[in-house]
Amino acid sequence: MRNRKRTGWHRIINGVNIAAFLVVLFIGLPLYWLIASSFKTPLGIGVDPPQYFPDPLSIANYKSAFVQYDFGIYFRNSLIVTLIATALVLIMGTLAGYALGRLPMRGKFTMLVVFLMISVFPEIALIAPLYVVLYHLHWTNSYQALIIPYAAFNLPFAIWILRNYMLGIPKEMEETGRIDGAGPLRTLWSIILPQALPGIFTASIFCFTACWTEFLMALSFNISNNYRTIPVGVSQFGTIDVTPYATIFAASVVATVPIGILVFIFRKFVISGLTSGAVKG
Amino acid sequence: MTTISSAAQQPAAVAAPPVGRPDTNRKKLARLGWLFSAPALIFVAAVTIFPILYSVVMSLRNVSVTGSGINMTGITGANYSALIHSSLYRYALGFTVVYTIITVAIELILGTIIALVLERLTAGRGWMMALLLIPWSMITVINAELWGYIYEGTYGVLQAIFQAVGLGHPNVLGTPTPAIAGMMVADIWKTTPFVAIIVLAGLVMLPGDVYEAAEMDGASGWYTFWHITLPLLRPTLALALMFRVLQAFGLFDLPYVLTGGGPGTSTTSLAVLGYEAMFKNLDFGGGAAVATSTAVLVLIGCLLSLRTFRVQVGKENT
Repeated sequence: MRNRKRTGWHRIINGVNIAAFLVVLFIGLPLYWLIASSFKTPLGIGVDPPQYFPDPLSIANYKSAFVQYDFGIYFRNSLIVTLIATALVLIMGTLAGYALGRLPMRGKFTMLVVFLMISVFPEIALIAPLYVVLYHLHWTNSYQALIIPYAAFNLPFAIWILRNYMLGIPKEMEETGRIDGAGPLRTLWSIILPQALPGIFTASIFCFTACWTEFLMALSFNISNNYRTIPVGVSQFGTIDVTPYATIFAASVVATVPIGILVFIFRKFVISGLTSGAVKG
Repeated sequence: MTTISSAAQQPAAVAAPPVGRPDTNRKKLARLGWLFSAPALIFVAAVTIFPILYSVVMSLRNVSVTGSGINMTGITGANYSALIHSSLYRYALGFTVVYTIITVAIELILGTIIALVLERLTAGRGWMMALLLIPWSMITVINAELWGYIYEGTYGVLQAIFQAVGLGHPNVLGTPTPAIAGMMVADIWKTTPFVAIIVLAGLVMLPGDVYEAAEMDGASGWYTFWHITLPLLRPTLALALMFRVLQAFGLFDLPYVLTGGGPGTSTTSLAVLGYEAMFKNLDFGGGAAVATSTAVLVLIGCLLSLRTFRVQVGKENT
């Protein structure tokens, strides 16, 4: 840990605070614009100069997102796909993370390197073959069309995070379990798992975010309105001539809130996930 | 006799496990390891590795989409020769490379600056971190729509500000160069905070005594940064660089929603080109060829940064 001496800082503290303020503006202003515009009326959103504060304040867009457009359907679909994919990732990821972190297997080093590479591979490389397979299975326009690739695509990174957490658990704990005669699954469940809980949170939040925001596969595999997820749904609002920005932003705020709350509550785990050497954008 | 033999066997039976056990136990545990990893390994291989290989096969065949299904015939190099002769493909390749270099460079520089600021911040760092995580967790499509509204040519806030300052009436998304620059800003807004968090994590783990020594020697802040902080931070920066470059290569969401690849074809990335080949022109062979060539480039990138990957995996082993 670094502990720098801070002497004669009065002047610099100001500089730091000004810089921090600029950072807040840089990130905050577009966010303000998103939220403020979601409360503008359809007329108020398209005036020049723009309304820097929505006048009058309207919640009509929130209603039209659900009534005029099918945002409710998209939200439900996103939730189903994301939750099931995340659950699958956690089950398979915990088992594999435990094995790769704590059990003496040959070739696990290579396996982890390959996993890390898969986790940064561009999705476009998978679209054509997956589409053909899904097409022949009659699985386009279905939940499994997204759940399966999402789970597979996020599993390597989850294994990576979980394995790193598993490595940090003291060996003695496991041995106690073994002496007590507990089987391997039981040891994993009642001794390792409680210790690895932070890792499981971290892996879940990363997986959840990735599934919630995924666009290319959702756009390619599910064309039917009934199976569109939020990103695809929002991108298809309006017609070629008219982009109903106010409604899009109302939907966007609703779509960002769950993930925002989740990230805010679990920010410690998100940051520790990023800092355990695990990097994903 | 019986007592002697049993007495002789007894110690042997007790003594045997300490010699033989670690080995058999190790084998048993290894088998357990494979058993536990099998579902994940098979699943990932079936849904990611197999399709990547299948994509290579598709790119080498005549693929036709008809009412009855997707058919593949013969073996052909036509998809690739079409790529090589396509000026749009060459443009998309060049655009993706240049776009990646510029945005990632700016993200790294800006991210490092933000991390340095946050490190020195005495209060409110937790709130800043929470704020930084919002763009990171945001749906890219929403990011694209937001900047689309900001850049809008007749009622967007950017043209209003430009007008107010007397800089004219820009229609950012209507002309190629501003459109590319505008897209980069949207990308930088979303991704820089993420780089900042990684760099900050690397920053707080740097050894403090080095800095105290430098301070005692009377080193200036700038000198300390260039000669101590930056070299020590190199592994962190290398990692962030590698991941960002590899990911930026798959650029799709932002151009598809913000500019639709335009104006004209000025923001057509490799992924947009591949998607449009498949789902607009129903040319799955051509799309697979674009995808495969992209995958090969990323794979080369992965192999070039194999050392960084290895360091990353090995770090936790020690």
